[in-house]
Amino acid sequence: MSALVSNARVSWYAIVSGANDYWAIFTLKSWVFGWCVRMLSQVSFFALIGKLLESDKQTQFFLVGNAVMIAAMGATFAMNMTTSERGNGTLSLLLASPSRPVLVFASRGVYVMADGVFSALLGLFILGPAFGLHFPFPRILLVIPLTALVGMSAYCFSTFLAGVIIRKREVTGLLVNATIVILMTLCGINVPVSFYPGWLAWISRCLPITNGLEAIRDVIDGAPAATIAAHVGAELLVMSGWLALALVTFGAFIRAGQRDGSLEYAA
Amino acid sequence: MPAVDVQEIRRIFTPRKREPVVALDGVSLAIPAGEVHGLLGPNGAGKTTLVKILSTVLLPSGGRAFVGGHDAATETEAVRPLIGIVFGGERGLYTRLSARQNLEYWGALYRLSGAQIKQRSAELLERVGLTERADQRVEEFSRGMKQRLHLARGLMGDARVLFLDEPTTGMDPLAAREFRALINQLKGEGRTILLTTHDMVEAETVCDRVTLIDRGRILATETPRSLGSLISRFQRIDVEDAPREVLEAIRAIDGVSSVTTLEDGTVRIEVHEEGATTLVLKELVDVGVTAVKTSLPSLEEVYVQVIGDRGLTV
Amino acid sequence: MRAFLAGAQIQLRFLRAYPDAAIPFFTAPMFSVIFQMVFRHAGREDLTPYAAIAPVFIALWWLALFNSGWTITMERWNGTIEMLVAAPSSFAAVVFGRITTTTLLGVVSFFETWLVARAIFGTKITIYHPWAFYATVFVTLFAMAGTAVAMASLFVLARNAVTFSNSASYPFYVLGGILVPVSFLPHWIRPVSAVVFLSWSADLMRAALQAAPMHEFWFRLAMVAMLGAAGLLVGLYAMRVILTRVRGTGELGTT
Repeated sequence: MSALVSNARVSWYAIVSGANDYWAIFTLKSWVFGWCVRMLSQVSFFALIGKLLESDKQTQFFLVGNAVMIAAMGATFAMNMTTSERGNGTLSLLLASPSRPVLVFASRGVYVMADGVFSALLGLFILGPAFGLHFPFPRILLVIPLTALVGMSAYCFSTFLAGVIIRKREVTGLLVNATIVILMTLCGINVPVSFYPGWLAWISRCLPITNGLEAIRDVIDGAPAATIAAHVGAELLVMSGWLALALVTFGAFIRAGQRDGSLEYAA
Repeated sequence: MPAVDVQEIRRIFTPRKREPVVALDGVSLAIPAGEVHGLLGPNGAGKTTLVKILSTVLLPSGGRAFVGGHDAATETEAVRPLIGIVFGGERGLYTRLSARQNLEYWGALYRLSGAQIKQRSAELLERVGLTERADQRVEEFSRGMKQRLHLARGLMGDARVLFLDEPTTGMDPLAAREFRALINQLKGEGRTILLTTHDMVEAETVCDRVTLIDRGRILATETPRSLGSLISRFQRIDVEDAPREVLEAIRAIDGVSSVTTLEDGTVRIEVHEEGATTLVLKELVDVGVTAVKTSLPSLEEVYVQVIGDRGLTV
Repeated sequence: MRAFLAGAQIQLRFLRAYPDAAIPFFTAPMFSVIFQMVFRHAGREDLTPYAAIAPVFIALWWLALFNSGWTITMERWNGTIEMLVAAPSSFAAVVFGRITTTTLLGVVSFFETWLVARAIFGTKITIYHPWAFYATVFVTLFAMAGTAVAMASLFVLARNAVTFSNSASYPFYVLGGILVPVSFLPHWIRPVSAVVFLSWSADLMRAALQAAPMHEFWFRLAMVAMLGAAGLLVGLYAMRVILTRVRGTGELGTT
């Protein structure tokens, strides 16, 4: 029991420190005028394609998909915190401490992920009406926990990837951007999963976002509860899978890094 | 004409929302060609500021500074090809590039031809002992190696006047010694070197003359040895086998600050007034004590006496 | 001139040393895939010129914003800006060299985008008005470089450059109509789009890829050139301010 408590405490402090780091970079003004504007522009960029195609249905498709993507983006950005750990030279200190590194890493980025989820919902509820869409109330409120689910799922995926690159810090920016754009391509964000050839659809369903997004679309379109539940279940499964993979491999990557000395560069 | 001529240079910084800071308060200095000149002072004394002004990177608030006869503030095009800058520290190199690539870049910026660049970078790498690591990324270098690369970089333009700003900070003693040997070589080539440091040993071993600077003002400019004699009244006399009564008598002399016995049995007599030395020596000679050694204080001791006991406060 | 080339050479070396520099060359083909999928799924193959142009602009803009925009700022953080000032070569020339190199490399994204479209979707892109197209590409690259110089200089002077530069991508993609033409934007936004050279450029390129005759070509091209030149002038002026600050107040030497 005490292990659980101390782990929880470690997590809590890590979350708080991650949050502090985040707010060291952003002020409220820059969050609103910088990040928010970008986020709304991003969703609008794709939603406008619906206008080009002269279809409200398409507009909704793009808008919902790309708004949810914002949550996943937040989760993916969290990878940056991992490598800044190594950059600051605090990684060695962390490894020397009794806590499990994966716990700290996983917790430090939680705030960024939560920010992504919040932004996604903001985008959805501001731009939906702006683009003339009508969301069914109160059913639409279900989208809130579902978006959080997508965010967490993407976060587990991102934590796993962070372990993969922990030894090669300079690749982080590239991986973050590559991940984001690949998820945008493969997770049914801008085209339905049915559009992909069979093998690609299979890969898509193993990635975070895909199933959860379908659940969200189901909610908005008024699909039966069973369908929604099935998609939610699938997303939970995917999330657990990536989480398990992260927990198992993180330690291994760190040990490999300790063996070959690649964790040391504070440059 | 001196290689470096500083005339009443003043520099005031006005940081945001704080009081203005006077970094240099009427500093004057003349360095003849071929001299290795040390600028010695604690952190915040104004050493780096002076170097920046001389290297055309900073404008003075008042006064004039000349390098090779040209005004560093207004004749930058004439000054820049003459000078080489070597800053200490971790920054100032492109860490993801190799040593050779760093040198080649600066060579181009110093307007060397393609062939010259290749040749000179190879020569300089050889000179600073980095040939084997020439194509390794700088981020893998130790502190001492980076410093040597800094020196090579500063020499790419074949500068006649070099400014070295605390170049051996953080180096281990062996590396620092090798570095100083390099500096002596450069001096042998007739280059003028202004070296800032807060390392006494360095100032003593490498410099022809040393200027003490503190809080933006010059306190003294002397050769390392004669700086010592500046306060030669602070002489010390080391004595062996002196009888106790004589030591008591010596202790009572005006101008003797202390009489202490060292670990090896030698007695050290410290004196703080002119003329006291003579009295002490007379006492000793009168009783036939001949194992006597006088010495001047080291530069470190001068430094501490003149600048005072500031310790860690800047 | 030597300073310009020195800048160009070191920029190429940086590209190899810093993986982040390769980001736009990865994302461009991926965006190509996304847009192709979208238009195919909607049964609108006629819109493939749109899908072909947008990723290139995304790549070019990214290069201007991040690879170029951070040029001077990185020098500052690296501790090399003062050494650059102290060197005999012109500071501006070195910066130009680096930015121009980066911008020219953006041409690679054209090939990537079209190759991907061809290889995966079998899309064939026909340049119906070749001279107009190449002229537009050329002037656009110039405008990109000019804008990049402005970004590089302004990022040093603005305190919040870090956070704002991260956000300056999509707003410009929307305003610049790089995928969806500006005519689809609400009326009140269109005047803003008119001062973003991307909008003129994107319109021209799309038109050059379609069979219909092009209207007002020279006027539109001139707008791109003018807006690019304006960016360049702003950048040059800002660079002068930077140099004054480095030497005058000593403010930019340290972070």
